[in-house]
Amino acid sequence: MKKLALILLLAAHVQADDATTLLTRSDTYRNPLASFAIDVELTSHDGAKAETSKFRVYGKGSDRSVVEFLAPAAEKGRFLLMLRDAMWIYMPSASRPIRISPLQRLMGQASNGDVARTSFSVDYLAKSAIEDGGAWVLELEAKDPSLSYKRVRLWIDRTTSEPLRAEFYVASGKLLKRAHYRKYGVMAGRRTITDIEIEDVLRPGRRTLMHYANLVARDNSDKMFTKDSLGKW
Amino acid sequence: MTTHNVVQLTAIEKAYRLGRINVQALSNVSLEVAGGDFIALAGPSGSGKTTLLNLIGCIDKPDHGRVLVDGVDVTAVPLHRLADTRREVLGFVFQTFNLIPVLTAWENVEVPLLMRGMPRKERSARVARWLEQVGLAAQAKQRPDQLSGGQRQRVAIARAMAGDPKLVIADEPTANLDSETGTRILDLLTDINRTSGCTFVFSTHDPALIARVARVVHIRDGRIMPSERSIAA
Amino acid sequence: MLIKLALRNIFRNRRRSAITLAVIVFGAVGIILFGGYKAVTFAGLRESTIRRIGHVQVFGAGSAKAESQKPLEYGLENAAALRQTIERDPRVRTTAAQITLMGLISNGDKSETYLATAVEPAKDREMRGHRLISGTELPDGELDAVLLGRGLATSMNVKPGDYVTLLTTTVTGSLNAMDARVAGTIATGVKEYDDRAVKMPIDGAQQLLQTHKIEKLLVFLNKTEDTAAVDETLRKNAAIETKSWSQLASFYHQVVLLYNGIFGFLGLIVFGTVVFSVANTIVMSIFERTREIGTLLAIGTTRGRVWRMFFLEGLLIGVIGGIIGIVAGVSLAQLINSGNVMLPPPPGYTTGYRLQILMQTQVLMTAFTIAVMTSTLSAILPALKASRMKIVDALGHI
Repeated sequence: MKKLALILLLAAHVQADDATTLLTRSDTYRNPLASFAIDVELTSHDGAKAETSKFRVYGKGSDRSVVEFLAPAAEKGRFLLMLRDAMWIYMPSASRPIRISPLQRLMGQASNGDVARTSFSVDYLAKSAIEDGGAWVLELEAKDPSLSYKRVRLWIDRTTSEPLRAEFYVASGKLLKRAHYRKYGVMAGRRTITDIEIEDVLRPGRRTLMHYANLVARDNSDKMFTKDSLGKW
Repeated sequence: MTTHNVVQLTAIEKAYRLGRINVQALSNVSLEVAGGDFIALAGPSGSGKTTLLNLIGCIDKPDHGRVLVDGVDVTAVPLHRLADTRREVLGFVFQTFNLIPVLTAWENVEVPLLMRGMPRKERSARVARWLEQVGLAAQAKQRPDQLSGGQRQRVAIARAMAGDPKLVIADEPTANLDSETGTRILDLLTDINRTSGCTFVFSTHDPALIARVARVVHIRDGRIMPSERSIAA
Repeated sequence: MLIKLALRNIFRNRRRSAITLAVIVFGAVGIILFGGYKAVTFAGLRESTIRRIGHVQVFGAGSAKAESQKPLEYGLENAAALRQTIERDPRVRTTAAQITLMGLISNGDKSETYLATAVEPAKDREMRGHRLISGTELPDGELDAVLLGRGLATSMNVKPGDYVTLLTTTVTGSLNAMDARVAGTIATGVKEYDDRAVKMPIDGAQQLLQTHKIEKLLVFLNKTEDTAAVDETLRKNAAIETKSWSQLASFYHQVVLLYNGIFGFLGLIVFGTVVFSVANTIVMSIFERTREIGTLLAIGTTRGRVWRMFFLEGLLIGVIGGIIGIVAGVSLAQLINSGNVMLPPPPGYTTGYRLQILMQTQVLMTAFTIAVMTSTLSAILPALKASRMKIVDALGHI
């Protein structure tokens, strides 16, 4: 708290290590639990059309999660395993989980997974922070070249460090997605982001709304996050 | 001239199947032909004289009995193995001349000599000699279709004699010739028989030929009839 | 002597022999013309295939077997040095670098998957692997110009001058996107390909993929016959793997198989016709010469010799027919080649082409051999029957 106040009182342009602190702070508004389960409702808007999907996400740390598809009925029973460098999908009609290449992550719901991540500070380096009105603008750079988005620009509230919005850039510098952190609520005793709106910059008119609820702590075993376990528990 | 028999037939039986009927061509026929003989087998058509001649000529087999040609028992030998005998020991003259139409007179006479593998010089000498002897030296290069019936038969005789056979089989040699030509042919044959000592066996119903031969064997219905004339020396 | 006899017997019945010879000649000419046409077609298809894919393709070691999750994991590093070494071989005409990649292409409203071939524009133009439908070919020096397959351009609703965005994942698995100007639209003749195809400059692709590697090197030779030798030379380099054009040209092999199948079938029909025709002639000839055969057997000709006589007739008719057939075939081929017989355009092409027959010694030899073989074969059984005639019956034959 004290440190944060100090930072805020200093000059507008802040050094990298301080930017890191800001980033770490902003991350606390995301999922605070190390091992958890959360409900996600996702609505895709494409012009006038809207489609809703429901999932239950089980996570451990910031780099492992399993997504259980609950609705619509066509997708119910599917599972998605998201690890740091690989992704698998399990469908009840298939006997084995199928590995999804990074290319395939461009399409479908997997692309949202990269954007609605639980933490930035683990994967991204905060290079700098600039004041912009009531917000800090953090420039983030991917620590690992295998991450989908090479650069992220994150706006956080100047006072509270609550994430406001983020822009996601690819290697060539082109902007592909924008995330708006619309609503906050209380989950697991903390103030956290409950609603995110994701914009597809390449296809204006396409928006995805993600709503989080029922965050509970759950003791997820490591074994759960292996492809052989998919669909068996 | 030896006195050993050139031909010896003993108790010959031969039958033919005509549809479902068995025709007995020869019954219990025995015959001896000595070297140098000039013999006619006489009888009406169907009497069996041609069959008898065929047996002597080693181009047919009896059902029962023994056939000895030049002292060799040929009864049990399969016909195709008797080709050697026919080539070396026998000579054939046919009613229908049976020359090879695509060959010249010279070449026709040459055929049996070629088959014996005779060297060219000897062949030429023999062919020339025999063509001369039958009076056709000038027609050596002509093909059968350019020769008269009498001339063709002479070529056939030259062919039969070229290999110096022990026995000449002639089936109705004058039947296809006019009487004058026929007489001339007979003269030729008699001449040859006298000068070379070659044995001649004819089958005929020509009374002119019958009158000229030293010995006649009458055949009727497959049996030998007792003859009016006895065997000449 | 037997040969003289056989020849004279063949020409005994001029008309019948002429017809039989005609059948053999017809068969031989058919083989020569069809064989030559097939050869021309194969050569043409082979060379146009090679023009598109190179004589030998060079890949990074391990790329054939490995399953890579990331593009160009087994790509070629230091391509420039490798190319220099390869191009020093006097048998090599030139090399062309390529990368294939895929991803999503977007026009702002919708996206489709694309399959891109990244090429060196100048080299690609030489390869003539596509037909330009609208716009221009890829210009040199412009990294972000692309050519779209006809179907893809339609579905993206773009024309030359419009812009599209290409998305893909980089060699590290990260996402990348690039705005590209549509320089032109192309067609390859394969609709499924044109619905997804993109051609782009290789440096543009390298930037998109964030790499200096290339996927493969197409090696073009001066003479196709050198392919096997050059392939072997290249394989000595442990850092690379090679594939010769033959291993890659499945369409070519399918066409070869198809044509060979068709012509093989036709050949069989020709074969059957000739066999029956010659056999018929010989059987008739034997029938007519029954008494003659009887006579020969009677005067002491062995069965073997009689068989040989007729066999020789069959053989000689085949030889004569074969020779006439070759002469006729070659003459006819030359006539056709100098003429202007036009064939309709094959699938994917717009213009027809002149009918040409390729003369190959092998085809001529095949035609001759088949002529002789069929005649000889057809003579065997009839000759055997002739040799086994019963003398007495034969002599009594009219």
